[in-house]
Amino acid sequence: MKELFSPNAQPRRRTFALMAAGQAALLLGLWLWMPLRMFPSLSEVLRAFVDMVTTQGLIQELWASMTTALQALAVATVLALLISYLTALPFFRPLAYAASKMRYLTLTGLTFFMALMVSSGHEVKLSVLIFATTVYLVTGMTSVILTTTQQEMDHARTLGLGEWRSFWEVVVLGKLDDMLEVVRQNFAIIWTMITLVETLYQSEGGIGLLLYKQNRYLHLDGVVAIQLVILAAGAAQDYVFGLLRRVFFPYSSLTTAR
Amino acid sequence: MTPYFYKAPVLTLDNVSMEYGGETVLRDISAQVLDVCRPNMNQGQVVGFYGRSGLGKSVLCRIMAGLITPTSGTVKVGIEQEEVTPGAVGFVQQQYPLFNHRTLQDNLLVAAARKYEPEEAKRQTDAYLERFQLSQHRKKYPAHLSGGQRQRAAIAQQLLCSDHLILLDEPFSGLDIAMIDEVKKIILEVTTMDELNTVVIVSHDIQTTTALADRLWLLGYERDASGRLLPGATISAQHQYNLAEMGLAWHENVEAEPEFNRFVELLKDEIRQSA
Repeated sequence: MKELFSPNAQPRRRTFALMAAGQAALLLGLWLWMPLRMFPSLSEVLRAFVDMVTTQGLIQELWASMTTALQALAVATVLALLISYLTALPFFRPLAYAASKMRYLTLTGLTFFMALMVSSGHEVKLSVLIFATTVYLVTGMTSVILTTTQQEMDHARTLGLGEWRSFWEVVVLGKLDDMLEVVRQNFAIIWTMITLVETLYQSEGGIGLLLYKQNRYLHLDGVVAIQLVILAAGAAQDYVFGLLRRVFFPYSSLTTAR
Repeated sequence: MTPYFYKAPVLTLDNVSMEYGGETVLRDISAQVLDVCRPNMNQGQVVGFYGRSGLGKSVLCRIMAGLITPTSGTVKVGIEQEEVTPGAVGFVQQQYPLFNHRTLQDNLLVAAARKYEPEEAKRQTDAYLERFQLSQHRKKYPAHLSGGQRQRAAIAQQLLCSDHLILLDEPFSGLDIAMIDEVKKIILEVTTMDELNTVVIVSHDIQTTTALADRLWLLGYERDASGRLLPGATISAQHQYNLAEMGLAWHENVEAEPEFNRFVELLKDEIRQSA
């Protein structure tokens, strides 16, 4: 028990699991018996959840949003990797710098320009998501590239690998696991943006629109139910990314402090 | 004294100077490593560059490895005495870097692929793993290797792709006595692999470096006529030692010999005076 409050301690797996379960139970208990009724009760949320699943197609909307998010993430990842790796060439460094700074742009203004450039609502939604995700990914990916040390590059060069091959070995292959981590972390941003984009472009539906409607009609129980669904989807995604990292990059956790 | 004679140069530093932002780090360094031959022996050479911490030893290493170009002067390597380029000299850096995303075997294969066709690269890799007692660790990632295994792997990797010349930057730094003995064994192992194999040790461990080397150069500062320190570390004429000539090279347990210890004390005095 004492070790749970000792800095950098490594409690036993069982102890840690019990502690986490206890914290979850406490949170649930607070929710169930909290005297302040600002928050909808668990039963209300569950009712709203069942209602949205049966009458408003929550699962279908979630699926629609998730496929759009994954589509945007896939394209944004390819674009961001390309822009980030191109920083090896001085000519492209301003591009990566500019892309990184564009994360300060607001989505609302962007959708207008995107609407002028592409034809369908889906394309607008997708292009806005791709743009916004790319600029965040570029920021994270370039910072990963910047962690490359002189020693790492020197090591590759002393093996007689040329400059491009050294870059490939040290920066591309050597940091692929860190890039996956950047993608995992920024996937959460897509969920924040997709709900916003879906309210701006309502023709396609999606979980964001559902959330917007629940908010608009002050259905707090529905809002909480949707938020919990998004939270669960996000946690599942995190788990999948962690699994991918363990499977494809088994070396990546070997040097991590536990 | 062991009979020996010199053949062609294998490494030549000719008036090498290095400046960073107007500050002279190294000044007019000249040294030549010759292929030393001993009758009935097939052994390469070990030479040492000694320098106190902060003198620019790592800069000198990077210059010798062809990773940076000196402000002036040249470095020539090999029997053909060609100007050094990255990859011409094996360079084992202080932290023994390896590719952390590759298994030990893959690390060696990447290096071997430079000189050999895939089948031969595989064969050479296996031979080196065997020779450096790393066979059982071939499937491990570098993070799983001990310090000693990592160092052996880094040396094997460099040997697989370089042409006889291998440069060790601070190979004894932070090691305990048992590990130092292990490194000494590896260095001797490398020199016995080929007559032309040359190990260049750049270190601030004067005792161990002197015990292993047959030539030694001391890096230090010089003073002008008025006694002021001149900028940039250099190797002055009196700080170049031929240990073979002095009868202090190639002895199995030279560190136990009084003559050796007297010489090391003399070197220490020289180092203190140049401070």
